[in-house]
Amino acid sequence: MMEGNNRKMDKKEALRYLGCHGAKPDAQTEFLLEEAAVEIERVYVPKSIYREYRCSVNEEKNLIMIDELHISSKSLVRNLQGCERVVVLAATIGPCVDRMIKKYSVTNLAKAAVVQAVGASYIESYVNEIEEEIKKEACSRGLALRPRFSPGYGDFALEYQKALFAMLECSKRIGITLTAGNLMIPSKSVTALIGLTQERK
Amino acid sequence: MKFLDRLGQELLFFDGAMGTMLQSQGLKAGEMPELWNLTHKEIILDIHKSYLDAGCNIVKANTFGINPFKMDHCEELTEKGIELAKQAVAETGKEAFTALDIGSLGRLLSPMGDLPFEEAYEAFKPICIAGERAGADLCLIETMNDTYEIKAAVLAAKENTSLPILVTMVCDENGKLLTGADMEAVTAMLEGLKVHAIGLNCGFGPDKMKDLLVQLRKICSLPLVVNPNAGLPQVINGKTCYHVEPQEFATVMKEIALEGISVMGGCCGTTPAHIKALVDTCKGIAPLKVTDKNRSVVSSYTHAVVLDQHPKIIGERINPTGKSRFKQALRDNDLEYIYREALVQQEKGAQILDVNVGLPEIDEREMMKKVITGLQGITDLPLQIDTSDIECMETALRLYNGKPLLNSVNGKQESMDAIFPLAAKYGGMVVCLTLDENGIPETAEGRIRIAERMIKEAAKYGISQKDLLIDTLTMAISTGQDHAKITLEALHYVRHVLGVHTTLGVSNISFGLPQREKVTTAFFTMALANGLSAGIVNPNSASIMAAYHAFCTLNGSDIQCADYIRLYSQQTEEHKSEKSSKEEPSLCESVIKGLTQSAYEAAKKELKTRQPLSIIDQDLIPALDQVGQGFENKTLFLPQLLMSAEAAKAGFSAIKEHLQSQGTISESKGTIVIATVKGDIHDIGKNIVKVLLENYGFYVIDLGKDVPAEKIVQAVKENHVKLVGLSALMTTTVVNMKETIQMLKKEAPECRIMVGGAVLTQNYADMIGADFYSGDAMGSVRYANELFSQNIK
Repeated sequence: MMEGNNRKMDKKEALRYLGCHGAKPDAQTEFLLEEAAVEIERVYVPKSIYREYRCSVNEEKNLIMIDELHISSKSLVRNLQGCERVVVLAATIGPCVDRMIKKYSVTNLAKAAVVQAVGASYIESYVNEIEEEIKKEACSRGLALRPRFSPGYGDFALEYQKALFAMLECSKRIGITLTAGNLMIPSKSVTALIGLTQERK
Repeated sequence: MKFLDRLGQELLFFDGAMGTMLQSQGLKAGEMPELWNLTHKEIILDIHKSYLDAGCNIVKANTFGINPFKMDHCEELTEKGIELAKQAVAETGKEAFTALDIGSLGRLLSPMGDLPFEEAYEAFKPICIAGERAGADLCLIETMNDTYEIKAAVLAAKENTSLPILVTMVCDENGKLLTGADMEAVTAMLEGLKVHAIGLNCGFGPDKMKDLLVQLRKICSLPLVVNPNAGLPQVINGKTCYHVEPQEFATVMKEIALEGISVMGGCCGTTPAHIKALVDTCKGIAPLKVTDKNRSVVSSYTHAVVLDQHPKIIGERINPTGKSRFKQALRDNDLEYIYREALVQQEKGAQILDVNVGLPEIDEREMMKKVITGLQGITDLPLQIDTSDIECMETALRLYNGKPLLNSVNGKQESMDAIFPLAAKYGGMVVCLTLDENGIPETAEGRIRIAERMIKEAAKYGISQKDLLIDTLTMAISTGQDHAKITLEALHYVRHVLGVHTTLGVSNISFGLPQREKVTTAFFTMALANGLSAGIVNPNSASIMAAYHAFCTLNGSDIQCADYIRLYSQQTEEHKSEKSSKEEPSLCESVIKGLTQSAYEAAKKELKTRQPLSIIDQDLIPALDQVGQGFENKTLFLPQLLMSAEAAKAGFSAIKEHLQSQGTISESKGTIVIATVKGDIHDIGKNIVKVLLENYGFYVIDLGKDVPAEKIVQAVKENHVKLVGLSALMTTTVVNMKETIQMLKKEAPECRIMVGGAVLTQNYADMIGADFYSGDAMGSVRYANELFSQNIK
């Protein structure tokens, strides 16, 4: 488990979440983005946890085995092909952003939409940062990283969130819980698998 | 001897980890340890015995993870767990207690999560009952990180068993739970619920816990419990390991014991060797006497508000009395209006919010339920529950996430018989009105006598005077010259002679007078000077707040005048800049530029000379259309669209208020139901659509998020609705959208359905049978306009 500290907003990413592709934002939007970033940085509490496991990939049966967990998914098999080890990762920037969104949905919907987008960019860059850390460590062992893969991608069912949560003890260690439909709360949270492979990419 | 006879009198020892021991015996990752109560009884028994041999006095039964959301046969597993622990005690011949061990359900409660409070309660209930039935001596609720879930578990144990209750939490290094609550908030709530001991477990090792426990002891009037891990968890080859050795563990624990802890043991990574070292090192240390810290405190799910030298502001605005707009909001179920009242007061400096939603023509209990739950999703201020309906009061107290203020009890026996038991059970500070069967005494002495009687009566229920807030009643000065004097004399006596905290509904004083604010403010200042602990006032009044902040600097509670300087040095600058700004923008301009306040003002100005309808048709709608087109042509962005929508909304609300004051109601173009489908908790897209539809004159029934198909169908049928908007953000919830559509087509075939959401496409929408798909919020407005202008039946 690690706790992160200051980091800057990825404005491009935030704009993408707002549906503003490529175009230059107007002054008001700029202002809201800045304001949201300041407010989020004041209250967010990034926390993450990851563990490395042995895994085996059975292409014929479309099955991945990680410790005791058996995952049936074509897309994940494709992603983890040839990996003998996998990192299971969970990260969150905490419940405060959700509360801000709720609050602004009542008082200032534009701000709510912007906080939503900026919050999403923060969790994204936080996870990128953790991935960088994993990559460095893996590199020192001569291993390369596969693109990270989350439940909900392709046919990797959300149902597997339950098992990943149990493996990492997410609720106890970093405060992420699952809804009945296997969505994560706080909503600005990520779980992912990252395959480790000998091959040079 | 019984557990409670020994708790706090001598140092008691819990055992160590169960999970760690089971893993070393072959428990697989992801396997549920509690199933071993049936399949590997001998192993469980042996672990208990080894801890008992190590010298612990309390065995945690292997029941921590029992959870109806994850497994069947919860009661049987609980009973077996308790039986095995008791069997181990009997077979070793030790004198030890068995704890029913209750852990988190792993789901977050609503409004932040999706598990309703009462469902969490129902999940814990059978486990508590089974635990007591099987012979547990106490109930340990542990590794908790959400105050709301703790409350559900504590109530389940309290209402269904007579077991002593211990609660330990997992927090971060700043002493906060993962849901954000600080230790003061947790302590306030748990002392209120009258659990028997509280403390910390898991998370990290004893070294890091020491400082947190020292802080906790300063504010907590209960015995403390500590069950740390054997250090921070480290992962080696996918296995979690802990590195603090038994003797090292015991040495730090001894330092903690000397700080006055009453019960100690271990969590993850601790073994019988750790517990043996702990017992050998600490045995014989007597816990310091547990003292009453005598704090008068209320709390929310994040923080506590302490009544002390620094007076507090209780916002009075969530109350329909004399407010036609608020009454209308209650009748229309317009919760957002109420939430806005809350947030504005918070912004203006309220520290506690009074909540009164009573209106003869509505179901107050249902409304209170919704408002209390909803408010806790948007404001972190402690709430004062204001109702004269006892059942409604209890409903709110159950659902409140923290230690609330109850408003109110009075000196009538009937009132005290009803309210004090509730306050005793749920915990909370109580506003005590100094009136009784004979009415309101006309002398200060009379009110003081009632106050004294109420203090005595409260004590019978174990409510100490630190939890009372005496209201010596403000009477309008226009109805009696000495009214202020009587109130203040009584107030002074209560605060300074009886030593009990005080409150007043301040605004009453000026009833019937012109320019009420002037009189109210003067009276408020006088009351503060006489010892008012918390005034129920309108924080939106600048003069009230100025009097308050000035008073706090003068009575020395605003340290170095910091608040005063922060608040008022900037304000003069703002005034200057306002004056220098140019003339006000028109309504049309205000909407296009997204200026909410000036849109409201401009609309009000226009209303003086023009008809509402012409303002809507010639200003508001064209402005919205222009912005909407810009958005669709991608020349402007979503935030701008939304700012304009909010500004237009403010303009419309000025018009609505105008119409209401003339006794007419604005007509809607039609009624539309919108909802985020079951399983999906994302609602921002839906909220955007709602605002836009409302701006274009539609009446929108917003069913919220995670809405089951049945509820949507019911709303459509009840209101004869012709159009439904459904939102889904996840591929996994599109299935529920499809089901909802199928049910609607069957049950209400005349109703049209439009859908939207990140993962949807036109193709997808066609496949699941939707009538219309929109990629953005403006599309839904266009479709609704077309549909209702054709008047499709």
